[in-house]
Amino acid sequence: MNEDIENRLRAALRRMDPPEGFAERLLAALPEQDLPARVAALRAARPVARPAVAPSRWQRLAAPAALAASLVMAVYLGQQIGAQRYANEQRAGLEASRELMQALRVTSKKLDVAYEAMRDHNPPPANADSEETRT
Amino acid sequence: MNAGIFSCLALLSLVAGPLSAQTAGQLKLPEFPTLADKAAESVVVTFDSKMLNFAGSFLNTKDPDEAKAKKLIASLTGIYVRNYTFDADYVYPKADIDAVRRQLNAPGWSRIVEARSKHEQSDVNVFMFVEGEKARGLAIIASEPREFTIVNIVGNIDLEDLHDLEGRFGVPDLDIETGKEAPKKESPKKETAKKP
Repeated sequence: MNEDIENRLRAALRRMDPPEGFAERLLAALPEQDLPARVAALRAARPVARPAVAPSRWQRLAAPAALAASLVMAVYLGQQIGAQRYANEQRAGLEASRELMQALRVTSKKLDVAYEAMRDHNPPPANADSEETRT
Repeated sequence: MNAGIFSCLALLSLVAGPLSAQTAGQLKLPEFPTLADKAAESVVVTFDSKMLNFAGSFLNTKDPDEAKAKKLIASLTGIYVRNYTFDADYVYPKADIDAVRRQLNAPGWSRIVEARSKHEQSDVNVFMFVEGEKARGLAIIASEPREFTIVNIVGNIDLEDLHDLEGRFGVPDLDIETGKEAPKKESPKKETAKKP
């Protein structure tokens, strides 16, 4: 039984010459040029969104420039308002001090009038040690 | 009932407010709004303590006048001056001046100087408000045919400071007891008026 199987396998696997014209037919079937292998790229799960056109330099600097300009304006305006307020305060203060001096001069002038009037009506006594009248 | 109490409280606050706001030695000076148009010249100064501090901070201490003024106002809480000069005689309302004069009849006020000049028709009265042996207020009422002046100085008036001003602004030595011996001067002694 075993010998029979072996014999049949040997018979099937024995070397055989190719049929006539086999080599020519095989070479004729091959392509004339060697083409590289095609590799198909895998599709990405999500397509990456890319801007169509890159922003210009001015566009990129516009927002920071506007912010900087606003800051400069705010600082400038603050300084101007502060300087104006200081100048107003100085002016008001000097005017107030002038009025104060004027008020004191009016006061002293009237006290002088009182003094002069009293001196005219009450000449100093001959004796310096004489008793004075006091309130 | 509640409305009655509420209205009473409101009335009390209305009455008590101005009274408490007026400090000792301070007079209620009218503004004389009608005189501003009539007067040829006018000096109207209303300085409370805040305003005095503000004005004082702008005084130039290098100037002798202003340095002394700064020292003088340090202890004051108010300076009120009404001074009007006119081109005609007696165009100012005497009733307003009398109203101020009446305030000086209140306790605490005493007249320390009364000077009248028939020749110049001038009348100067100096009053002092004394509280606890300390001068807390000064008032001057001066009237001439073409000028009238009301001065009210409020605060802890240091007579030494007044002495300091003597000869500078022309404030005379009033010979008021200050607790310190006043320096002897060559100028003749003045007599202060007796209380009427």
